[in-house]
Amino acid sequence: MGTEEGRKTDLLESFCPNDEEIEKWMCCAFEMARDALENGEVPVGCLMVYEDEVVGRGRNEVNETKNATRHAEMVALDQVLDWCRHNNLDVRHTCEQTVLYVTVEPCIMCAAALRLLNIPVVAYGCRNERFGGCGSVLDISSADLPHTGTAFKCVSGHRAEEAVEMLKTFYKQENPNGKKNNRFLLFRHVWQFFFHLFVLFYENG
Amino acid sequence: MEPRSKRRKASAADPDSWIAYPVLSAEQSQDVELVDAFAAPIVDRKETSRLVRELNVLYPLNGLQHVKRVRARKDEGGAGAHPLEVLVCRVSDAPSTLLPPGGAKWVGLGEPFVVQVPARPPLTRPQFEAASRRWPTSFHEDKRVTVALRGELFSSRQKAAMHRFMASALTAAEAARQLGMEAVGAVVVDPEKERIVAVGHDCRGEHPLHHAVMVCIDLVARSQGGGSYCFDRFPNCRFASPNDLSAPGPYICTGYDLYVTREPCVMCAMALVHSRIGRVFYGAASADGALGTKFKIHSQKDLNHRFEVFRGVLSGPCEVLDGFRKEIKE
Repeated sequence: MGTEEGRKTDLLESFCPNDEEIEKWMCCAFEMARDALENGEVPVGCLMVYEDEVVGRGRNEVNETKNATRHAEMVALDQVLDWCRHNNLDVRHTCEQTVLYVTVEPCIMCAAALRLLNIPVVAYGCRNERFGGCGSVLDISSADLPHTGTAFKCVSGHRAEEAVEMLKTFYKQENPNGKKNNRFLLFRHVWQFFFHLFVLFYENG
Repeated sequence: MEPRSKRRKASAADPDSWIAYPVLSAEQSQDVELVDAFAAPIVDRKETSRLVRELNVLYPLNGLQHVKRVRARKDEGGAGAHPLEVLVCRVSDAPSTLLPPGGAKWVGLGEPFVVQVPARPPLTRPQFEAASRRWPTSFHEDKRVTVALRGELFSSRQKAAMHRFMASALTAAEAARQLGMEAVGAVVVDPEKERIVAVGHDCRGEHPLHHAVMVCIDLVARSQGGGSYCFDRFPNCRFASPNDLSAPGPYICTGYDLYVTREPCVMCAMALVHSRIGRVFYGAASADGALGTKFKIHSQKDLNHRFEVFRGVLSGPCEVLDGFRKEIKE
């Protein structure tokens, strides 16, 4: 049991990403996020790397699929599974040596999914104050959940401001539409009011 | 073979064989938190209203508005005991001299002592009853919660419908078991029309993240013209065609109910938050469950969507299914 644990920590140390790797792979994750933004999706992008090879990539595609669980990480994990099947590799063994690079802290759902697939390390840009599952709302990454895969390690902060800026841009795009609609509704109500007044006046006169 | 016959018998049972209990938030279900406070007996009963007025000015009991200032001691009605006691202030707020010298101001007040009073307003009747045993407390009762805690929220007609939906989830779970997957089934329902929108079961054998709830969420997406997967090869994973449901449908799962045989895990529970589910009903609790056991994600502070959860629907057959799963593992 002790040696098994020891082997795991050794393994974790051996491929915990260095700054250079983080910079290199995060660059691609940010491109994925930008693609999401251009397609009207929440700008989050990610990359899954196994032995210096990209085995999965994803960006948020919730609106496109009408499925609110299609976060970047879930899309990328599907690709990892396909890649394993295609290359005839054991899923668990591969995932145990795969690092996730993602622009925003994984949400509670994605953190649990990453645990279930035994991903050991996650490098992320900015915190996710709304849904974060690696400490911002709940800490699923290190919680005591013996039936939910294995806990994972987080390395955070790379290009965090840029990731936040992208999220802000997205939510700013959403708001003006709402305002426009409100203005239109107000106009319609005012118009209807005068119309009714006119009808009343006409009927009585 | 034995568990199977048991299950048949149980799922054929009537809706009176189970009770749906609400899974309340952490704040609603926690034990009453207490805080130390100074109280003093009222020696001269005629001074009560004056003493209360003086104390209200000196110590307004900020943050303890839910506790009553004066209590009557019912237990020590005998001669010599003082029948009334008044709350002075929280121990943490007390200055070195509790009552500043004021001549006649404190006439009629006895020697202060320490009591424990409820730190927060009670949210449920059980909390109110526990709090009142410490010190009289006011309670703005949510009648719906009280009725739900008694297990009497649903009419027999509603229970019959719930029974039917969970029975469908059980059938799907049974199909999953026969396929060698985990025996978990789920059903998404439009409660207004009392219609099934999607039925699904665990497909972990094909994809480790295809838990019954995740399958159902994608099937709902497909019923709305979206979706990411194809479950057509599983006859017990199906969705109502868009024509069956009057268009336009809701946004993702808004207003829909989910029936699932086993308490969802963290991933599935959060997927239900993202999907804006209306209510969740489950049969059996699970060890790492996120809707009551390990977390209460449906009432988690800071999340932008909350929903009601009820446990215990067809609990008997759902627990039998789960027991079968554990037997296999062993």
